[in-house]
Amino acid sequence: MRRSDKMMDICLLAGEIMLTYGAETYRVEETLERMARAAHFKNVHSFVTTTGIFLSFEEEGIGDTMQMIRVDDRMQDLNKVSLVNQVSRQFVSGEIDEDEAYDRLVMIEKAPMNYPVWVIHFASGLAGGGFSYLFGGGVRDVFPAFIAGIIASISVVKFQEYLKVKFFAEFMAAFLGGATAIGLVFFGIGQNLDQVIIGTLMPLVPGIPLMNAVRDLMSGDLVAGVSRGAEATITSLSIATGVALAIGLFL
Amino acid sequence: MLLELLFCFIATVSFGVIFNVPNKAAVLGGGIGVITWVIYRVLPEYDVTIIFATAVAAFVSASIAHFLARRYRLPGTIFSIPGIIPLLPGSKAYFTMLAFVDGNYLLGLEHGIETMLQAGAIAAGLIFALSIFSFGKGIGQRYETSR
Repeated sequence: MRRSDKMMDICLLAGEIMLTYGAETYRVEETLERMARAAHFKNVHSFVTTTGIFLSFEEEGIGDTMQMIRVDDRMQDLNKVSLVNQVSRQFVSGEIDEDEAYDRLVMIEKAPMNYPVWVIHFASGLAGGGFSYLFGGGVRDVFPAFIAGIIASISVVKFQEYLKVKFFAEFMAAFLGGATAIGLVFFGIGQNLDQVIIGTLMPLVPGIPLMNAVRDLMSGDLVAGVSRGAEATITSLSIATGVALAIGLFL
Repeated sequence: MLLELLFCFIATVSFGVIFNVPNKAAVLGGGIGVITWVIYRVLPEYDVTIIFATAVAAFVSASIAHFLARRYRLPGTIFSIPGIIPLLPGSKAYFTMLAFVDGNYLLGLEHGIETMLQAGAIAAGLIFALSIFSFGKGIGQRYETSR
């Protein structure tokens, strides 16, 4: 196996992990270019959009290598982004060699999430309860928002698992969360329906696409920025539609 | 107010967990969230509009996030996403949706414009902080004056 092939695999694996788990476009491009330069390749260019990575570099005396990969999934796991960042930093500074970098990247890719999934459900409940209070609810609204936030989080994970359609999962999660909130308030647990529903929906907010859209547009990755913004908009719209359906049916 | 800060801290740390940030960064992000919320709540009491207060809060939290990112050598988004979350116009977006569902389009547009303005203020604060932390490194130029 030629050295450039191997380095290409390492770079693209690093880029794929970062892009999948929510890194900004400029960070992926910069990481790939730095790693390839650190391995003494010339003429390094990378072009990253929200859904794919192109990387090309020149091996002295042999010729150019160019490869692209398609990235389908976009998930929320910033811990993996920071771990890959660390591996690339150590590789660039020469602390680890190519084989070790590859092994560590494969390990990061296969590793489970930083927090088990029930902790994430519980955190969604806490976030829901906290925000229902912050947005003007009373102390008695915290508990129903907590329950409905957990329901919304569980349903977004489960629908994603079985149907594998992100926007529909978010729509159904907003619908079920909104329905739970309306039901709990109807039975006298909690007073301000509006604040309970707002709190319930907060854990579904597409924070990473929103943030990355601003960051990408700012640093000149216009294609990636606009597409991330579109993703965030569609997610927000599907959440709004889901809760609008719940309100229309049950109120 | 103290209870509000406690809830803000819990909610922001939970958002860190939802986005799977490293453990230490989740707690620090909670601290940033509390600072953001204090600025966002205190400034309107001194006759500052809510939009401007949002921009200032976003700027401060993004600056702290960049600083911590340098310090701990982690990607900046890990700190700035949980820090920004309390500013998101969730309740205004909800009332926009509610007004449109009721067929009350004028009120919906009113709330919708407020939502957009607040989102724009967050973006403005973020971009300003980012620009300050990129002086000299350069992001985008207009004229090639050095040739």
